Amino acid sequence: MLELKEVYAQYGAVTILRGITVEVNEGELVALIGSNGAGKTTSLATVAGILRPSAGSVVFRGENIAGLPPETIVRKGIAMVPEDREIFPALTVEQNLRLGAFILRDREQYRHDLKEMFDLFPILSERLDQAAGTLSGGEQQQLAIARALMSHPKLLMLDEPSLGLAPRLVKQVFDLIQRLHREGMTILMVEQNVAQSLRIADRAYVIRTGQVEASGTPEELRRHVDVETAYLGATRSGRQSGINGK
Amino acid sequence: MTESAYFVMDVLSLGSLYALMALGLVLVYGILRLVNFAYGELIMVAGYSLYLMDGSPLPWIIMAILAILAAVATSVLTERIAFRPVREKSLTAMLITSFAVSTLLQNAALLFISPRSRVVPLPDIFTHNFMLGGVLIQVRDLLGIVVSIAMLIIFTLLLNRTVLGIALRAAADNFRMTRMLGVPANLVISVAFAISGLLAGVVALFWLGRTASVTPGIGLEPLIIAFVATVLGGLQSLLGAVVGGYVLALMTVGINTFLSQDLVDYRQAFTFGLVILILLFRPEGLIRAK
Amino acid sequence: MPTSPHRSYLTGVGTILILVGLLIALAVLTHLTGSVVLTRFATQMFIDVVLVLGLQIFMGNTNVLWFPHAGFMGIGAYASAILSMAPMQKSLTLAHLYPFLADIHLPFLPALIGGALVAAAVAGVIASPLMRLSDFPLVITSFALLVIIHVVLTHWHTLTNGPQTLFGVDNYTSMENAAVWACIFVVVAYVFKESKVGLQLRASRDDLVSAGSIGVNVVAVRWIAMVVSAFAAGIGGGLFAHFITSFTPKAFYLTDTFVVLVMLVIGGPATVTGAVFGTVVITFIYQGLRWIENTINVDQVFSTNIAGLSDVALAIMLIVMLILRPAGIFERNEISWQSIKRFFGRAPSGAAVMPKIGKEVN
Repeated sequence: MLELKEVYAQYGAVTILRGITVEVNEGELVALIGSNGAGKTTSLATVAGILRPSAGSVVFRGENIAGLPPETIVRKGIAMVPEDREIFPALTVEQNLRLGAFILRDREQYRHDLKEMFDLFPILSERLDQAAGTLSGGEQQQLAIARALMSHPKLLMLDEPSLGLAPRLVKQVFDLIQRLHREGMTILMVEQNVAQSLRIADRAYVIRTGQVEASGTPEELRRHVDVETAYLGATRSGRQSGINGK
Repeated sequence: MTESAYFVMDVLSLGSLYALMALGLVLVYGILRLVNFAYGELIMVAGYSLYLMDGSPLPWIIMAILAILAAVATSVLTERIAFRPVREKSLTAMLITSFAVSTLLQNAALLFISPRSRVVPLPDIFTHNFMLGGVLIQVRDLLGIVVSIAMLIIFTLLLNRTVLGIALRAAADNFRMTRMLGVPANLVISVAFAISGLLAGVVALFWLGRTASVTPGIGLEPLIIAFVATVLGGLQSLLGAVVGGYVLALMTVGINTFLSQDLVDYRQAFTFGLVILILLFRPEGLIRAK
Repeated sequence: MPTSPHRSYLTGVGTILILVGLLIALAVLTHLTGSVVLTRFATQMFIDVVLVLGLQIFMGNTNVLWFPHAGFMGIGAYASAILSMAPMQKSLTLAHLYPFLADIHLPFLPALIGGALVAAAVAGVIASPLMRLSDFPLVITSFALLVIIHVVLTHWHTLTNGPQTLFGVDNYTSMENAAVWACIFVVVAYVFKESKVGLQLRASRDDLVSAGSIGVNVVAVRWIAMVVSAFAAGIGGGLFAHFITSFTPKAFYLTDTFVVLVMLVIGGPATVTGAVFGTVVITFIYQGLRWIENTINVDQVFSTNIAGLSDVALAIMLIVMLILRPAGIFERNEISWQSIKRFFGRAPSGAAVMPKIGKEVN
């Protein structure tokens, strides 16, 4: 469904992505793991239209989407929940969700979708008219995901969904993600929480310094690659991590 | 008693205008981080539109509406032609561009119309006044208050009840995220500039009503007022801009009333000096955002 | 880019020589024509070079849109006029001037420098708190400062005779000494740019936080640039005062701010070359247009006088330049022998062209 091929991208003069290749097939939950600065968020940014790659291709359902602006990307069926959630604190929960549904025109559809969201995120229905800024971290995370789902995406991208959440909430979030996945959503997820990611992912890529260091199913990765090392960077023990490629 | 009644009346009528002015400026700033130096010229455009229509058989209200539309069109066009191409480049480039547009519009008026002030047609009703409890009330001032408050109410409804309004508020808060939800950037910006033009146009009617004339440089004072009111009220908050407008009116009328005669000339300097002081200690403006 | 300090020192000298040479050549040419009109144009141009270079010293190194410059020019103009005018002359135009000022009568050079020092001192005091602001607050406060200076100049009659004309200033400014000052400031601007202060400024321009973390005191460095810039403005103002011999505070407000800004931005704020070239080019265009305006008006080609044509044209040029090439003609590199040779196709171009890098869309 989504394919990043040899993508290079930079912020100003600093090159972050150096030929990254990632594939997400329909119905899969793919995780990108790696340490800070490795290029995980940048990869998502390239897909989301925030960043234009300087080389390589980004193909979604057969169409090259590299360099398209964000408002077009979401209309292609890709929704993103950014790292800081970025909900609108001054707007109410309902208004946030309403914006999530911006690209859809149908009021009936919107009302119907709202009800679905209430099933998935009961807490939101309670807080519907509250300013989103008054929600707790975990609730804001739920709101951010709900808002992204309102646009009926075919691909959902999540950037560090568990960041800053208490351990109990972390499990909740991952359970939620797993549930979405089971219901058929294709998900590309960036995470630093390796354990939880590998628990629910179909496949994962280990990213280091802008390139794919290793990839495979969770079992393959656990078996062949010292994921810890790749995650922290090989600097401490001096060991290079193992297998490249799928 | 009547003294204070006049004081209150002045503050309210002036404040209503100032509030609208500040709002138009903050709206664009909130979304684009652009300080639109050409904002004052929208008032000038409305004024000259009225002047050019003088003598036509149209009823004044129609002329007024056309003048407002001229301000809206100018606002949207300048965004489209001058600001949009520079938007991606840098904020400083946009600032300089707005300064250039301001100069351009002023000198265009100078060139194509006249450097001298020109009379602006006003409705008879602006000259009427009546007594209320011993206080002489200008109809014009009263109208200004009523219209301004009406616009603020409409504006508030727009921002809270319509999807477009919600999108505008979201864009002012976090432009990028708003785009990521599918809200088209250009649309939002154009709408913001259009509303900004609308507000300027309405303000123009009452602002020009005070002197019944227009000059190329007439936009400077409202611009400065909008700057100051915005700073007073908080740069991030639309409500703050409105409050800032009234506070500034209070300060202005107060200074005019109470400051000794020889210092009155410096009142602009005083007001601006106060602004600098505020910004030094509270760069985000007086009122905390949200 | 030259790497060894020795090499860049040479390149720097080269740049300065080229720019100074250009200015001197223009002065000589003008002198040779013997035309009074052209001499006036040239004098105004050299004064503008001083002003634009002054603005470059601050704006070019900080990337901040800086408005008060014309105000400091005005302070320099009035201060130097007060210092240089004979007491008798002063009593005619500044009847109520404070006694200690009324009696001062300095020769041109001390008056000029004195006026500039006053401008720099005022700037150093009142503009210093602004140095730690950024973005919107900085733009607004710097604009506010311009307005405040203007209001003060307009209403402090005892000092300025404002809003009325201050007249009777001696015409000390010749094309020659304006040209000399222009050359002096070419050197000052370039040396400043490449000095430690200049480098620190440019390092902190893009990222205040990390600049602070490497030990750059951004506020202090900005302040230094601002004071030097104000001094230049003061010199420009003094030269202007003794050139035009009578003026009002209006000369140091928005129009002047705009023209100087156009010259700098079109030439390229980041480079000294940009400042000089921008001034020369825009002077030609602006004065040319003004001349056309005047001729049309005098000959009554249209039924009414036209005014504002040159400003409209300048504004359009600025907007177009910002759209096409926002960093100006001389974006980053100063002029040098190498660049001139390259321009005329003699020398091969230097390093390989950098691949077109992706741009952040938003």
